[in-house]
Amino acid sequence: MDNSVVIPNTKKIKKETPAGKILGKAFLYLILIAGALIFIFPFYWMISNSLMTLGETITRKMWPAVPQWINFLDAWEQASFSKYFFNSVLITLGTLAGLLFTSILAGYAFGRIDFKGKNVIFAIFLATMMIPESVTLIPNYLLIRGTIIPLPGGTWINTYWALTVPFMANAFSIFLLRQFFAQIPKELWDAARIDGCDHLRFLVQVVMPISKAPIMTVLLFGFTGAWNAFQWPLLVTTRNTWRPLMVGLYGFIQEAGPQTNLLMAGAVITIIPILIVYFLTQKQFTQGIATTGLKG
Amino acid sequence: MESTRKLISSKRKSAFKQQALKDQITGILFTLPALIIIFIFGIFPIGYSIYMSLFNWQVTKGPFVGDKNYLLIFGSWWNLLVIVAGIGLFILGFFVWRKAFQTMNNGSRIAHIAGALVLILGGVVFVTGWGLMYETGNQDFLNSLIVTVYYALGTVPAEIIIGLVLAYILYQDIIGKEVFRIIYFLPYITPSISTAVVFQIIFSSRETSLANQLVGFFGIDPLRWRFEPKPVLNLLGFDVSGLAGGPSLALLTIIFFGIWSFVGYNTVIFLSGLGNIPKEIYEAAEMDGGTKWDRFWHITIPMISPVTFYLTLIGFIGTFKAFNHIYVMRTPSAQNTVVTTSLLVFDRFYKANQYSVATAQAIVLFIIILGLTLAQNKLMGERVFYG
Repeated sequence: MDNSVVIPNTKKIKKETPAGKILGKAFLYLILIAGALIFIFPFYWMISNSLMTLGETITRKMWPAVPQWINFLDAWEQASFSKYFFNSVLITLGTLAGLLFTSILAGYAFGRIDFKGKNVIFAIFLATMMIPESVTLIPNYLLIRGTIIPLPGGTWINTYWALTVPFMANAFSIFLLRQFFAQIPKELWDAARIDGCDHLRFLVQVVMPISKAPIMTVLLFGFTGAWNAFQWPLLVTTRNTWRPLMVGLYGFIQEAGPQTNLLMAGAVITIIPILIVYFLTQKQFTQGIATTGLKG
Repeated sequence: MESTRKLISSKRKSAFKQQALKDQITGILFTLPALIIIFIFGIFPIGYSIYMSLFNWQVTKGPFVGDKNYLLIFGSWWNLLVIVAGIGLFILGFFVWRKAFQTMNNGSRIAHIAGALVLILGGVVFVTGWGLMYETGNQDFLNSLIVTVYYALGTVPAEIIIGLVLAYILYQDIIGKEVFRIIYFLPYITPSISTAVVFQIIFSSRETSLANQLVGFFGIDPLRWRFEPKPVLNLLGFDVSGLAGGPSLALLTIIFFGIWSFVGYNTVIFLSGLGNIPKEIYEAAEMDGGTKWDRFWHITIPMISPVTFYLTLIGFIGTFKAFNHIYVMRTPSAQNTVVTTSLLVFDRFYKANQYSVATAQAIVLFIIILGLTLAQNKLMGERVFYG
């Protein structure tokens, strides 16, 4: 770094003339906008195709002459999307409730309570993030089928429990919350304890209200995880009873084949809830990432 | 006086002890719900997988077969030993290169020559072992490893570089920064099944497909995209074929999707990492007269290295786990050129019902991930600059 002083300043002066500066800025915007267009284009394509007639999707128009809103109705009815949609909503809500419950409690314990075995348990939790699903998938399937240990009700295949319970805790959410909880000043707890507060009350009345950002981050990741899940639901649902939207959409891909417009209408339906949750949580989510140890 | 002080201190001590006991109980109770679920569905299955892999298990448990399922993969333990020896030599060569003969005059040059020799030897032994294994072992599995490596190398570095560039630009005073960030992150959170369908249509083999119209614009004949098992290099005119010739066009299409869906995550994490670099460092450098480029290269890159390390690690582990979008985008005509190990394991299990073969393959995959993570920790961990 020392010799950077020696670098002649001519370059710098040239760069920072107003015209050069504006040009440089314009170039940066160009990159950003090009990037944005690439990221957004598939979504545009999804929506425009979902409103086309079948003929228009084949001739590759950029936008339908007359938007065919009926496609959404057709897709909704043809592929029993209403059933899948409702299933997905219930599965996601159940998973999220469990996930928030387990990870807030565990995150608090790891971040703020001294107890024996804490570091060992936390290290084991973190290690599970490295394990590929391929390893756990088959034993978990046997577990849910009731082969390894007897389950209440015989088998959990095609039940609500199979789709929710295994996802009601994960190391990532606990880690994220722990990082935030650990930063809360100790004085707060000392003051609360003098007032006769125990850990649970402190957690609910003091810690949770000031931890909206990380909790929302866990919520967003948990929501997308549960809503987007595919491999596991494919495995444990053989009937429509609890089959979620993603497995339904996959089935629809196989069936609808060339009916691009209906397929795209189906795809649009599946992403709407995610978009809503994303826009609602995105502000806290940004903060959540900035204030937790997520960045390594 | 003395006694009252003692009394108070002993009271305090017992209160302290009581609090410690309370903390112990509360701590365990709070972690218990998570512990139960993570243990049952995340830790116990690893042990059970190893147990299953020792049996002939097809839907139901069959007779004990010992190492037979592993021998199906490796051919023989000897083959594995040769490969492991190759890796061992490789690691040894690396250490010789870096650390040996430091006390001697010209030590580092000798170390580099010796290290290079050991590295080459390691490479030769590894390739020999791989060849032996390929002859007598499970070719499908070994092919899937090659595909997985192609996929990882095709996605992770690109994701890191694009993510960092976008984040760095966004970090300048940009109007509409929020909007850009929201857009970039969108592909990451939307369901990959839904977005992969769009890629299917964009990259369809029809002459009128969007991708074909685009390459047609540059005078290239329509391509078969995700239906094309030929290596990309072959299509570019090189005389190569098969998996050894590099990733197929079908895999490249999937790599495009992988990059598209993951770059936003890296951008967001990089962006928050950039925010943590103290402004004073930049100001000091500016006074020293460094150019923007100098500042990026000598300040941003080293200061952001912990984030880069984290994202590379997450990225590689992620590619070894990748499943959903590959499962949706693969076509029968792309053959084995898009079957990564996680897909292969799933097929063995779900379609062929060979539970124990699948678990043995999954465990080998797990060990490979573990080894790569450790190697990455060692290699990159040393270069990371923590403030």
